[in-house]
Amino acid sequence: MELLLFILPLFFALSVLIIPKQGVRAYGIIGSLAVLGVVIACMMQYNNDGTTHYFVNKPWLAGITLSFGYDGISLLMLLLTAVLVPLILVSNFKNELAENRLFTSMVFFMQLGLIGVFISMDGLWFYIFWEITLIPIFLISWWFGAPERKAALMKFFIYTFVGSLAMLAALIGIKVNAPTFYIEDLKAVTFTCKTACWLAMGFFLAFAVKIPIFPFHTWQPDTYTKSPMAGTMLLSGIMLKMALYGMIRWMIPLFPEAVACLQWPVIILATIGVVYGAIIAIKQKDMKRVFAFASMSHVGLIAAAIMVWDFDALSGSMVQIVNHGLVAVGLFLAVEIIERRTGTRNLADLGGFAKQAPKFAFWFAALAFASVSVPLTSGFIGEFLMLKGLVQFDMIAGIVAGTTLILGAVYTFRAYQLSMYGPVTRDQFADLHWSELVVLAIIILAVVILGVYPALITDFVNPSLKVVLETLSTPSGL
Amino acid sequence: MDALLIVFASGLISLFAAFAKKPWLVVGSAMAGLLAAIIVIIGQLQTGKAFFDFLTYEGLAFDEFALLFSLAICVLSLLIIGIGYERFKENPVHTGEYVGLLLFSATGAMIMTAYTDMFMFFLGLEILSIPIYVMAGSNKTDVRSSEASLKYFLTGSFATGIFLFGLAWVYGATGTFKLQEIQMRITEMDTLSPILMIGVLLIMASFVFKVGAAPFHFWSPDVYDGAPPAVTGFMASVVKIAAFYAFLKMFAICFGQGELFLFWKDALIVMIIITLFVGNLSALRQVRFKRLLAYSSITHVGYTLILFVSQVDYFFTAGFLWFYMFAYGFSIVGIIAVAIAVNDPEDRIDGLKGLGKRNPFLAVVGIVALLSLAGIPPTSGFFAKYILFSAAWKSASWLVIIALINSGISIYYYLKVIVAIASPAEETTEKIKLSPLTVVVLTIALVGMLGFSFILPLLN
Repeated sequence: MELLLFILPLFFALSVLIIPKQGVRAYGIIGSLAVLGVVIACMMQYNNDGTTHYFVNKPWLAGITLSFGYDGISLLMLLLTAVLVPLILVSNFKNELAENRLFTSMVFFMQLGLIGVFISMDGLWFYIFWEITLIPIFLISWWFGAPERKAALMKFFIYTFVGSLAMLAALIGIKVNAPTFYIEDLKAVTFTCKTACWLAMGFFLAFAVKIPIFPFHTWQPDTYTKSPMAGTMLLSGIMLKMALYGMIRWMIPLFPEAVACLQWPVIILATIGVVYGAIIAIKQKDMKRVFAFASMSHVGLIAAAIMVWDFDALSGSMVQIVNHGLVAVGLFLAVEIIERRTGTRNLADLGGFAKQAPKFAFWFAALAFASVSVPLTSGFIGEFLMLKGLVQFDMIAGIVAGTTLILGAVYTFRAYQLSMYGPVTRDQFADLHWSELVVLAIIILAVVILGVYPALITDFVNPSLKVVLETLSTPSGL
Repeated sequence: MDALLIVFASGLISLFAAFAKKPWLVVGSAMAGLLAAIIVIIGQLQTGKAFFDFLTYEGLAFDEFALLFSLAICVLSLLIIGIGYERFKENPVHTGEYVGLLLFSATGAMIMTAYTDMFMFFLGLEILSIPIYVMAGSNKTDVRSSEASLKYFLTGSFATGIFLFGLAWVYGATGTFKLQEIQMRITEMDTLSPILMIGVLLIMASFVFKVGAAPFHFWSPDVYDGAPPAVTGFMASVVKIAAFYAFLKMFAICFGQGELFLFWKDALIVMIIITLFVGNLSALRQVRFKRLLAYSSITHVGYTLILFVSQVDYFFTAGFLWFYMFAYGFSIVGIIAVAIAVNDPEDRIDGLKGLGKRNPFLAVVGIVALLSLAGIPPTSGFFAKYILFSAAWKSASWLVIIALINSGISIYYYLKVIVAIASPAEETTEKIKLSPLTVVVLTIALVGMLGFSFILPLLN
């Protein structure tokens, strides 16, 4: 049945190309819900003891194995993907784009790649799926993005591809010492600290570009701004989570020796990114750019918390990964809602929509609160646990990263205030369409439920996180 | 041997079939001959028996690898004749010559895979090269084509001269033409004679010239650019396969031992690095499509040559080389098909714009082929590159890292072509019609580009 995880997206990606135009909207949503069904069935099946459940595990060729399986962490990422893709399709419902066969097909190809990344337990397959995701997202943005997108997208592709090549080099470097690419075989290899550092850097480059961590972020604001809404949502909602997942699943377990030397540099860079992204977000005029930099700031904190490699911090980062995925999709939808109605995202030209569209004002406000992690939203739990880990690791790093809470409030509410309050700038501002309402409501509900009862996530991933933490071969410095 | 005879015979037949002035007859007989050759080769690979066993000549030995490489040569020649058919049809009087020459050239390529002495190798090289000199100039009204032909002829014969000169030195040092005996003589030597070393260097220079590695690459952009696209495709795939395997065979068997290996290895490494950077950096600013392809193929030569210095077992090296060249050949077929179908007189990269609208299938083939050339998974180009790099990592990890950096550079110009294909058209938007034959060939190439890696387990 798990094979359906591959077959369904592939089937829908190809079959949507021959569906009549009117049916594409519904077909896409049906397809993504079907995938969601399969993922939920997998979750039901999984006995939550933290071990990896393999559904295929056999040697293939040239040291590459067919190992696909999942544990709690993978399942959570799968669930995030499977939930977000229908949400993205629904939020796109009002756009003409939703009727486009190619677009819907590319979304399914993207989903195929993402699912592959999360269930590959073989290094080379991980790399293959990692690269596969790049092509559909590039094409989505290239075909359907803003008019002056080309330079930004070339930059994006080259950046991420070069980063991935570094990972390929590291994979080859570790494979020559191991019989196969199977994750357990790779974990069994031990290195001297110096070699491990070099190889781990290869992985880190690939992940740092995708996350993005300062100073590898320069592709990100432009690409986010120039992509169509669905592309931005895919990028920030799911795609950068691949890199965070990759850190937890591959980078650190494969090179535990490197943690000692990489820990500090990564945490410093990530913390710089947290503050830097937030400060730049405050100054932005374009609403989408505000949330692009905000995304960079939030994710930098997650990366730093993962690098602390502490149980609570990891569990907090898992909560925050889910939270950020949901909230980022919501925020970019809010931007899109404004842009659809007014044709601009420039904060100086906006204002006064709260009076005209009270429903939208309410849900957008709820999203803004979720984004700045007030208690009762899942962001609070996540950021609290992560900051706790960081403070325990190093007081100063914790405090500097903690400023994200304050700065986050500043840029989020500045964007909210400038767009929703103030003098009325438009004669008309239609309130929410049902499709927009559904997406926002689902996101807010999920965020609040997880904020009140985060054990839904933590109980699910903690056994797996324990296993990942325990099986590190050398506990040096940990 | 059987396949060699069949290909040669079908070359003759298609030459005579040309008298009927019916292109389909010529192409049909050529393709039938190549298909028969493919079947015979596969049969021989499985049973290990040849029909014309009694015809064996000691200068030629169709061992397993010679057969595998011949298979690649036949398959790719078949595909290239298939995609070139549209062009041949425009000029029915000359179809027989093109197709016949192409098959004779393929015969030479097969001899080059199976040679066991230097004499036979030289014959194969000439049989391979001379038809190409003619074919490169087959667009007689086009100045570029004539230039390509003349350039290729002059530089090619110069390289042949260098080879013969080097061969004379090697003969002087060892006293024999046979590969096995040369190897024995060299292992018997206490110290390497300088005569031998000079000979090896000269031979290497001629090989490097033939495959088009820097600094012996100057002919290739002009020739690739000027020659008719099908001939360019033939040169980039079949000729390279033959030249590379002959190169590998000679240098792994004869000159691959101990001190001698260390002697030419350093020279080759320097050339690899120059090749990679020259090919890539020159490709960045090209505006003409086939010229870009020429520089990209120079880069691929650089990647492939890494195998030669990677000190892996001969059998693995040959297997990897086969896989790499075959995968590369499929991508070349796909790309050349796009160039032929678009038929932009100025051959600009921008001329590919709007291909997605003009013919979606062709656009998909083009994009997959470019992804395969760039080495992006899940195409076979990626697997080929991965296998090559992982084979070389142990002995030359820094060289692999340089190659990976070059892959990073190369993505820029491949991406430029990919986005040109994916962009809307500027002027013409008339549909491109593909003949059924082209569609079949392209489907084979597409399957090859996407699924070729799945035959890897069979290699073991």
